[in-house]
Amino acid sequence: MLTFLRRRITSSAIPLVVVILGVFYLARLTGDPANLYLPLSATPEMRAEFAARHGFDQPLLVQFGDYLAQVFRLDFGESLRTAEPAADAVLRAFPATLQLAGATMILAILGAIVVGSWAAYRPNSLADRVASFTSTTAASMPDFWFAIMGVLVFAVALGWLPTSGTEGAAAWVLPVLTLLIRPFGVLVQVVRGAMVTALSAPYIKVARSKGAGELRVVFGHALRNAAPPALTVAGDLTVGLVNGAVVVETIFGWPGIGKLMITSILQRDFAVLQAAVLVTAITIFALNIIIDACYALLDSRVRQGVTA
Amino acid sequence: MMTTPRRRQAASALLALGAMLSAGACSVANSGPEPSSGGSSAASTVRIVLPEEPPTLEPCDASLTATGRVTRANITEALTERDPSSGQLQPALATEWKQDSPTEWTFTLRKDVKFHDGTAFDAKAAAFSIERTVGSKIDCNVNGYVFGGTKLTVTAPDATTLKVETAKPDPILPLRLSFVEIVPTTTNATAKVREPVGTGPYKIAKWDAGRSLRLEKFAGYWGKAPEFAAAEYVWRAEGSIRAAMVKSDEADIAVGLAPEDGAGDSAVQFPNNETSYLRIDATKPPLDDVRVRQAINYAIDKEGLVASVFAGLGKSAGQIVPAGVTGHSSAIQPWPYDMAQAKKLIAEAKADGVATGTAITIIGRNGIYPKAAESMEVVQNSLMEAGLSVKIQMLDVNAWLEYLLAPFPKDAGPTLLQAQHGNQAGDAAFTMGQIYGSKGAQSSYGTKELDELISAAEQASGEERQTAFAKALEYQNKEVVRDAVLAHMTGILALSKKVSYKPDAATNDEMRLVDIHPAG
Repeated sequence: MLTFLRRRITSSAIPLVVVILGVFYLARLTGDPANLYLPLSATPEMRAEFAARHGFDQPLLVQFGDYLAQVFRLDFGESLRTAEPAADAVLRAFPATLQLAGATMILAILGAIVVGSWAAYRPNSLADRVASFTSTTAASMPDFWFAIMGVLVFAVALGWLPTSGTEGAAAWVLPVLTLLIRPFGVLVQVVRGAMVTALSAPYIKVARSKGAGELRVVFGHALRNAAPPALTVAGDLTVGLVNGAVVVETIFGWPGIGKLMITSILQRDFAVLQAAVLVTAITIFALNIIIDACYALLDSRVRQGVTA
Repeated sequence: MMTTPRRRQAASALLALGAMLSAGACSVANSGPEPSSGGSSAASTVRIVLPEEPPTLEPCDASLTATGRVTRANITEALTERDPSSGQLQPALATEWKQDSPTEWTFTLRKDVKFHDGTAFDAKAAAFSIERTVGSKIDCNVNGYVFGGTKLTVTAPDATTLKVETAKPDPILPLRLSFVEIVPTTTNATAKVREPVGTGPYKIAKWDAGRSLRLEKFAGYWGKAPEFAAAEYVWRAEGSIRAAMVKSDEADIAVGLAPEDGAGDSAVQFPNNETSYLRIDATKPPLDDVRVRQAINYAIDKEGLVASVFAGLGKSAGQIVPAGVTGHSSAIQPWPYDMAQAKKLIAEAKADGVATGTAITIIGRNGIYPKAAESMEVVQNSLMEAGLSVKIQMLDVNAWLEYLLAPFPKDAGPTLLQAQHGNQAGDAAFTMGQIYGSKGAQSSYGTKELDELISAAEQASGEERQTAFAKALEYQNKEVVRDAVLAHMTGILALSKKVSYKPDAATNDEMRLVDIHPAG
């Protein structure tokens, strides 16, 4: 297992370097930050001073070298926009996104396992058709529309929930529901498909013939074998959420990493953008390694294939 | 009852999931005080929702809208302040001022004023604040916006006297100083500060970055005490959410709304000091022919545009500064909508060999004002009807800035730039040079005659200044025709029934908490 993990970590290092390089150079293609940070009437001298002060007058290669040297010292620079260390802004925003993504995916996975298994237990039954219709609708729902409608109905018309913000458990309901609806729909379909196959496998008949209870058959035997495809899709969906739930963060005023990255791009706040992408990339690589490790735990063939 | 290892594993996993969920909920939920619904029930806190979080509350960046509307006149104050209704300059931390010579001014400062940290306000603090802002090395927005690189020499002969010397005559120095917010000498002079100390009626109580900002009444304030004991700001990027927050009693005031945000009965309209216009790149054919530029002005139905696209919010305009700004000319009326005249002018130009068939690109900016793209489609349709070939390119702010500011893209071809201008300072000097001057940062075209008129106006004072800038604007409108002004725009904010507030032309840039009162 350790060999497996070591290989995974080594193979993730190359894409990480590519991401760092790519973000650094692509960010600088968006234009001159002086246009945004100095008033429109700023003189050419002021623009030149600004560039010199922030090192933008140096060749790109020199700037990149300085940036790399800073990163190795765990210094991510200072935000042009907020005059605070870029790392502070990122480390403040990232946990908010992780908490939102974590809550969403836990609920989506648990819900999908129950509903997907229920639908697969009797294929083509009324329950299966209701689950399929609901999950297809959920998977196709535009999140911005759902969010705005949720606010209008539950906050403005009924007054049950706050429109936005992060204060109190009630503030979590609409953001989590909005984020949840699509992963839930997709995962129900995946779990259902995998469970239909698993439940018709010979080992299930053997388990039943040995007198195993239906709960044990479904969740103990079939689900374990149906888990890998669901895990793959859940992993992809989680990565998408960790990368920033921009729509939800924008609509609900959730101070997460997605909104921070978009603001940094629009404001040419290079230091914050670079730090945000780096932290997110490392998290996604870690997440992928965890998912691969879960595969290996679930399926010994994967483990053996890698370590062989 | 015995539990199997597998069941124990499952139970542990569920416990871990539950702990993760609750930990997440607790850590975010408890991380900062946001205004709770009904938070103003004590009539002690006014709750304001903004479109964006202030990047900093740095006083020398108070000319930035996002910073200024929280900082100016609330946390910090300047020596002078401009009344947005009358346009007159009023005393603030300076009680009076006089011009000793064309380049020398003396300001008499208010006594018995304290900063939030308890230190006394005096001429040294005023001199420090001016030096920190003007010509400083910390990229102060006020420096570029108001002073444009000019140097000031500031001295403090005694605690209540401040002398300011300018390198060349500056008749509006007291107006410029209304942008310099005063901070104590203990303020960092070599870096921007996020949470400043000032003399204003409110001090910063807590800034929970990313979530909320709370200001509390400063007990030692020298002026009339504000009615609300505290102000809480939150920010939501989506306009419809800001409007919904007022409707659901989560906020008392929502700023920066559009007609489609659905503020309903809580919506209040006000002239927001912004003027929309198209900048005509008069250096390239066919736009280098004045008849084509005139035709563009005749072809656009500005009243129809305001009525249909802007939902009646705004007033068709003929000049870039609204009434109330020094230099506004009452002689300039909006160009009349006359499609026949537009077609005639284009035909004349074509007959004289002007390449009227050359494709003109409208460089638009998404979201510059409500219905920005739709308004450009209306303009495109009108210009094509007049006989021009026009296409639209809508850009985001960064790409658009490349076209707004010199040096301009060389391979752009003839362009009409969708733009909007707001004159916060109330004097045309903050408009004319940069927009119409030959070397202005936003100017693609100017003439020697117009440059001379602008330069003369900048040196004038009093009534002469008004007349001189009005003359320059009239000359531009009649002889140069460098743009097609569309409308003086109207802003919308939502106001709950719990508060009383009368927005004015300065509201977008400076929202004074002392002007907000409990209703009834």
